[in-house]
Amino acid sequence: MNRFSLALRLLFRDGRSGELTILVLALIIAVTSSTAISLFADRLHRTMSTQAADFLAADLVITSSALIPQLWLAKAEALELKQARTAEFSTVLIENEELLLAGIKAVSKNYPLRGVLKTIESGDYNKQVIKHQGPAPGKAWLDKRVLSALKLQIGDSLIVGEKALVISQLISYEPDKRGDIYSLSPRVMINNADLKATQVLQPGSHVHYFFQFSGSEKTLAEFRSWVKPQLNESQRLMDIHEDRPELGNALSRAERYLGLSSIVVILIAGVAIAMSTRRYSERHFNATAILRCLGCKQSEILKLYIFQFIILGIAASAVGSLFGWFAQETLFHLLRDLLPAKVADPSFIAVILGFLTGLSILLGFALPPLLRLKKVSPLRVLRRELEPLPTSAWLVYGLALSLISVLIWQYTQDFKMTATIIGGGIVTTLIAGLILYALLIQARKLLPFVSLSWRFGLQGLLRNPRSTVSQTLAFSITLLAMILSYTIRTDLIDDWQNQLPKHAPNYFVLNVFPPQVEPFKQSLQRQRINNSRFYPVVRGRLVQINNVPVQQIVSKDSQGERATHRDLSLTWGTELPTDNKTIAGSWNPSLKGQVSIEQKLAKSLKITLGDSLTFTIGSQQLQATVSHIRSVQWDTMKPNFYMVFSPRTLAGYATTYITSFYLADEDKSLLNGLVRQYPSITVLEVDAMLKQFKTILTQLTAAINYLLYFALLAGFTVLFAAVNSSLDNRVYEGALMRTLGANRTLLRKSHLIEFSLLGLISGLIAVVMSELLLYIIYTYILHLNFQVNILLWVGMPLISTVCICLAGFFGVRSIANKSPMLVLREL
Amino acid sequence: MIETENLGKTVPTSDGPLCILSSVSLAINSGESIAIVGASGSGKSTLLSLLAGLDTPSEGFTKIKGKNLTDMSEDGRAELRNQLVGFVFQSFQLLPGFTALENVMLPLELRGDKQASQSAAKLLNRVGLSHRLAHTPMKLSGGEQQRVALARAFVTEPTILFADEPTGNLDSKTGEHIIDLLFQLNREKNTTLILVTHDNALAARCQRTIKLEAGRML
Repeated sequence: MNRFSLALRLLFRDGRSGELTILVLALIIAVTSSTAISLFADRLHRTMSTQAADFLAADLVITSSALIPQLWLAKAEALELKQARTAEFSTVLIENEELLLAGIKAVSKNYPLRGVLKTIESGDYNKQVIKHQGPAPGKAWLDKRVLSALKLQIGDSLIVGEKALVISQLISYEPDKRGDIYSLSPRVMINNADLKATQVLQPGSHVHYFFQFSGSEKTLAEFRSWVKPQLNESQRLMDIHEDRPELGNALSRAERYLGLSSIVVILIAGVAIAMSTRRYSERHFNATAILRCLGCKQSEILKLYIFQFIILGIAASAVGSLFGWFAQETLFHLLRDLLPAKVADPSFIAVILGFLTGLSILLGFALPPLLRLKKVSPLRVLRRELEPLPTSAWLVYGLALSLISVLIWQYTQDFKMTATIIGGGIVTTLIAGLILYALLIQARKLLPFVSLSWRFGLQGLLRNPRSTVSQTLAFSITLLAMILSYTIRTDLIDDWQNQLPKHAPNYFVLNVFPPQVEPFKQSLQRQRINNSRFYPVVRGRLVQINNVPVQQIVSKDSQGERATHRDLSLTWGTELPTDNKTIAGSWNPSLKGQVSIEQKLAKSLKITLGDSLTFTIGSQQLQATVSHIRSVQWDTMKPNFYMVFSPRTLAGYATTYITSFYLADEDKSLLNGLVRQYPSITVLEVDAMLKQFKTILTQLTAAINYLLYFALLAGFTVLFAAVNSSLDNRVYEGALMRTLGANRTLLRKSHLIEFSLLGLISGLIAVVMSELLLYIIYTYILHLNFQVNILLWVGMPLISTVCICLAGFFGVRSIANKSPMLVLREL
Repeated sequence: MIETENLGKTVPTSDGPLCILSSVSLAINSGESIAIVGASGSGKSTLLSLLAGLDTPSEGFTKIKGKNLTDMSEDGRAELRNQLVGFVFQSFQLLPGFTALENVMLPLELRGDKQASQSAAKLLNRVGLSHRLAHTPMKLSGGEQQRVALARAFVTEPTILFADEPTGNLDSKTGEHIIDLLFQLNREKNTTLILVTHDNALAARCQRTIKLEAGRML
């Protein structure tokens, strides 16, 4: 306790004398940024997930082919989760001597728990009505196509099984319309209360129940972990990440960016802390020698400083957490117009995490320089030149590297990737350091041939090449972090915008029969509607892989398991969709019996090139060989397929066509004409989904922009602080030179040269390192295209030269403005 | 009180080992005042550092109160310094961020003394600095800084006081004043005083003088 209170007093005295200012600032910046980002990311994630949950009509869904145990529902009720249920099944409707296979959906009272339904009362697509509940008992809502197919009108009676229902609305949008959207049976939505009376569902009937739940995150998580072990083979849990890949992708990329920003800021702050602790420790060599002289043991010295740093860490982390809290509140305030009216509450755990991160960064980056103080010899009181041995390089970099590795691992969840990034980082840093060291040694030969100001400037860098190398690398890492933050953000946003151009298709047209394709195309052309390709579709189910039934191969809950439980849309063509990329094999459309498979499905089903796949199409079986595996961009809003066959393979099977197109809001009435002209087609409106998707991306973009500004601000502040923390020697020498008669112009010039060189070299190294890391991150983490950025090669060294010059000039201004004697006394 | 036998120090240099102190054997009694004199580079400060346990000898040993410093660890020597030794340096060695009072309190605080503030203030009063308690070293003159250093050295009532050129950075008048104060305190506290100087007048005030030349005792 004595030592602790002594440490407190020493800290107070140090703080009062201004020794801690830079260190405290760096720490506050680190904690503020990491708390703000983790709070912001957490809140945004939860807000976005809630918003995205609209597409699931709930936060969590259990799908089952039978009713789930009453106990589960009771558990959900006990946890105060809101519940709804839908039951989906197919049945044939017969009216006016017309037959139609319809997809019936019986919905309970609370459906949808998230999102809304939209209906059109008059059949006019321009007049949609938002509904928060499904049809009332006795009523039915239909797809418009059902009306035309069964020659019915709104207000007519529709018999589903044994129950007569009144057609009251045409349904135009249901949030949780799922599955293979190109071949949906036309929808008939009824109230759950009428389900029994239809008598369609008998024991053994093929039905999908969707038990939907919504509530607080905590209770949902509790329910999820309680129910998951009890699920049987035919039951599955769904949430937004796995069920809507197009949204999940955008969300997880944004989350990865948020994670990356957080690492970037931590890295920047870490560098600042390491530099300022180094300065702190160097400025405490004398004080430590005196303490040693006065009888302080080595262990006590370390204890005293560690206590001080713990107190400092707690205080600065507390202040940083508070600032972080306000910063994220400000961010949300700035984004209020873009975000939903209700955003998730900030989580206290995120604040605690920010606080703990602060302490860990302090420990990881500050401990090595502090350990050096332990080695200060008491003899230094007599011989000032005695410097303690540097702390082992393993320890200096090991601690910081471990910390950063843990963070990167947490963010990538991939050991190999973490090792690659860290390993790549170490190797690049080492190589850059060695080259720079060699260059500095060689540069000494230039000294006799340059002017006085250049000589002084160069000597500033050459005096202690090791220290110059470590300083340059520290600046480079800070700049590197800033480059990563900026470039990734820009490319991420560009990528999103490319994926969803202004006129991304917002309507899908399904069930176009082969003879209708040409006239339909012409109709679209006449209306000046640009459609995407017409893809032929044959419905078929994957049943065997290399003659082994798929059910024996797939694991439960996997994407493959779901894909084998339903009919897939199989297509063929000589060309693959343009955004698909070859992962393995080659696409040779001239060979019959070949199939190209989507990579994730292939991985999930353990399918490799050369495997033989058997499909059931109607009552027939078809075999094809996997000759190509490709990636698919699911979020392009264009038709996409798991299986693409070579032409002629699917010849002779019943085929329909699908396409997608963009229709502006004001042109929606054109749809009515099309539907009248081609009554058999199904028009699927994805406009609402697309708009919401775009809104989410806009929100994410804005959020990411603010995060970038935050990271850049932190970077510049830290760079400034870091330059300042390295100036003691320069100020001392500058003051000495002035006493020896050097004029201000000469000093300014030599400082300009020294800082410019420092900035230029740091900038160049940062660019090289960033290009290498960006290549790794783009290729393996964000899955974006990597391109060498020429602007970066020119811009970064320039910016870094200017910034480091400015910061350096500001730091050494006292040499020019004050009397040299005063400057020397202050040191 | 202090005893050395065949004490020597050799340091490695780029031109080979350099002997800076050789074969120093001496005994210093309790309460005695000793001046170590010699030209610059004669090994005075090295001898002082070896006597005080700030450095370890290459050969021979130092014993304080019968305890062989050579056999002790650095931490053991630190503890011994804390219990028995006080220091005064040519360059004062005050902590720049600390006030005069805090500088004097420090050794007591390291011992966990709860009366640190009162004892330090008392001693600062004794050296005539009661009006400067809250001043940091930068705001004190050289003489005042050395008086603070004296107060810090005596505040723990050490058995032995080592002084390295205590007047080296001061003008003669201020230096004289400091030396008066040093000897007064030395008498009051009955401290064994070992001081390094090349000021003959100062050496003459000590009971005994040890003269060094090129690392050897004459």
